[in-house]
Amino acid sequence: MDADDDKGFNASPETISEKPLADVGENLDEKNNYYDFQAFLKIMRDPKADPIVKHTKSFIRNFVSQRENWTTSEQEKLINDFKVFIYDKLLTNEAFRDLSDAQIKNAKEGIEKLVMGKLYYKCFSPCLVNEKRSSDATHEQDLLDDAKLRDKILEFRFLGPEHLDIIPDLINGKLHSFIALSAKELAKINQYRSPRDKMVCVLNSCKVLFGLLKHNNKLNGGADHFVPLLIFTLLKSDVPHLISNVRYIERFRFPSFLMGENAYYLSTLQGAVNFILDMDIDSISILETDKDFNKKYSQNQEEIKDLKKQELLNPKDSSTKFPHRTVSPSPSEYILKPLDDAANSVLTKLNDFWNTSTSPTPSSPEYEDRSPRDHQEIDEHTATVLAQQMEHKEQENTLQTLQLMFPDLDPDLIRDVCIASKYRVGVCVDSLLEMAE
Amino acid sequence: MLQFKLVLLGDSSVGKSSIVHRFVKDSFDEYRESTIGAAFLSQTIKLSEEYDEQVLKFEIWDTAGQERYKSLAPMYYRNANAALVVYDVTEPDSLPKAKLWVDELKEKVNDDKLIICLVGNKLDLVSERESTSLVDEADAREFAQENNLLFHQVSAKTGENVIKVFQDIGERLYLQNKDKIQESKKPNNNNISLQRPSTNDSQSCCS
Repeated sequence: MDADDDKGFNASPETISEKPLADVGENLDEKNNYYDFQAFLKIMRDPKADPIVKHTKSFIRNFVSQRENWTTSEQEKLINDFKVFIYDKLLTNEAFRDLSDAQIKNAKEGIEKLVMGKLYYKCFSPCLVNEKRSSDATHEQDLLDDAKLRDKILEFRFLGPEHLDIIPDLINGKLHSFIALSAKELAKINQYRSPRDKMVCVLNSCKVLFGLLKHNNKLNGGADHFVPLLIFTLLKSDVPHLISNVRYIERFRFPSFLMGENAYYLSTLQGAVNFILDMDIDSISILETDKDFNKKYSQNQEEIKDLKKQELLNPKDSSTKFPHRTVSPSPSEYILKPLDDAANSVLTKLNDFWNTSTSPTPSSPEYEDRSPRDHQEIDEHTATVLAQQMEHKEQENTLQTLQLMFPDLDPDLIRDVCIASKYRVGVCVDSLLEMAE
Repeated sequence: MLQFKLVLLGDSSVGKSSIVHRFVKDSFDEYRESTIGAAFLSQTIKLSEEYDEQVLKFEIWDTAGQERYKSLAPMYYRNANAALVVYDVTEPDSLPKAKLWVDELKEKVNDDKLIICLVGNKLDLVSERESTSLVDEADAREFAQENNLLFHQVSAKTGENVIKVFQDIGERLYLQNKDKIQESKKPNNNNISLQRPSTNDSQSCCS
């Protein structure tokens, strides 16, 4: 990243925003690994890119102002049609047409991120439903399903690995710390707004599970070993609005970017979610061998009752821990909470882009009213400081977890590995596994 | 690069994942396109002269074979171009289960173009066993013929016949898509995928 670029945008946490993609590794994009949002924005600021910028802005404006509430499938179609249209335009635009294939792909990624960053509040069901002004039945259904999944996870959170056909070889001290880390990576899905970044959170979560399999020399076991681990992870996880997130990726990730390994792990996550939604006490036959099962089940039921009672009495408190659909965080909380990394930097970059762009935005009051900027009523300095604090805390947590996972390795060595790989969990786990061997 | 989605089905003890690991390991990969993950693998192969030395890439989707996870399978086999249905030649119970997978594919996918290959694994163990404790090869072969399936017996352990399975499927896919492939050889059109996007129908998630 050259100095000019840094001046052009408020770039303090910029490298962090690229964090999820660095984890992607060679497998994900095989040939076109290149991804650089800053580079894309730089080209967009070239006057030659004006037609692209204008088309994009006008699409966003129309999307926001033309109708109060689109259904999810209408949104999916509109946004996909726009991407098909604008991706085609890129190939003939002066600023883009001579770029390499990888750079064109990067520009397509950039446009998706830009558009979805702007339209997140119109497209991500939890945001819409909380706004209470522009949701429709299809978005509300997402939230109902989120709530249903949450209830199922609570109901069966006490299950052990042995109840899910996780092979005995994997049931050892390491299992729970890997599962916890995987769940934590998945929970980051709510920190990002672009479908790609959310997808990367899913892949990172899976990668931690590969780490566990590799650690136990079971990488050849395939889906027989992997699927139960993912389901177990979900049962031990605390990811608000998981179904809304998965559907958002499905709807708004450009289809040709959602192929291969991405498609596989997203489908597996959907399968795991469906499996949990269908779970009921009678269908878990193997549990008859567990004499204490009924006792554990009723005990957990009691705990859930207490939990729900507490939530009713003190909804705010519980929302920070495990938001229920009636007490979900508002969109602004979505921005403020995840400041640990990308959300903040992406947000400022996006706003910066739209504000400093050469072609002025025709200001429609309605459009302005809905822009994310207005939801975010904090100044940038506060946000940056807050972001750094939270990031630091998050890094300390990661470090502690990794030290627990690898008790035989020197803690200082683990810290060095973390710093070297910028606390990218996928990369850290890979390197540490190699060292542990 | 031509890409095809291949789904792996079979009981958890039949060694279906080992077959694919063997395939990826034994294939000479001049294109460096292979991916080895815990449950998703990809590998390119080159067909013989008879098939224009066509290069194609398999994206291999593994499924969990445990009975309780059977309900997840439709998530994996939708939009597949090919399916490998695996049984264990030393485990007579495993063939009827493989047959059920074939029936399910025929019923649910209901696509004449889906290429299904029935594969008996663990051929290396045959010589050590009494023939009465083995799956009757004729039975498997007949079932394959009746249902228009490809049929192979392999050993993931020694590698015997493993590559042949994928060559055979590749050849069928080539013949099936010959027109499109020739179309793709025209200039400026060298990267087509015959897969449909696999996660983009609104019904697919959690419905």
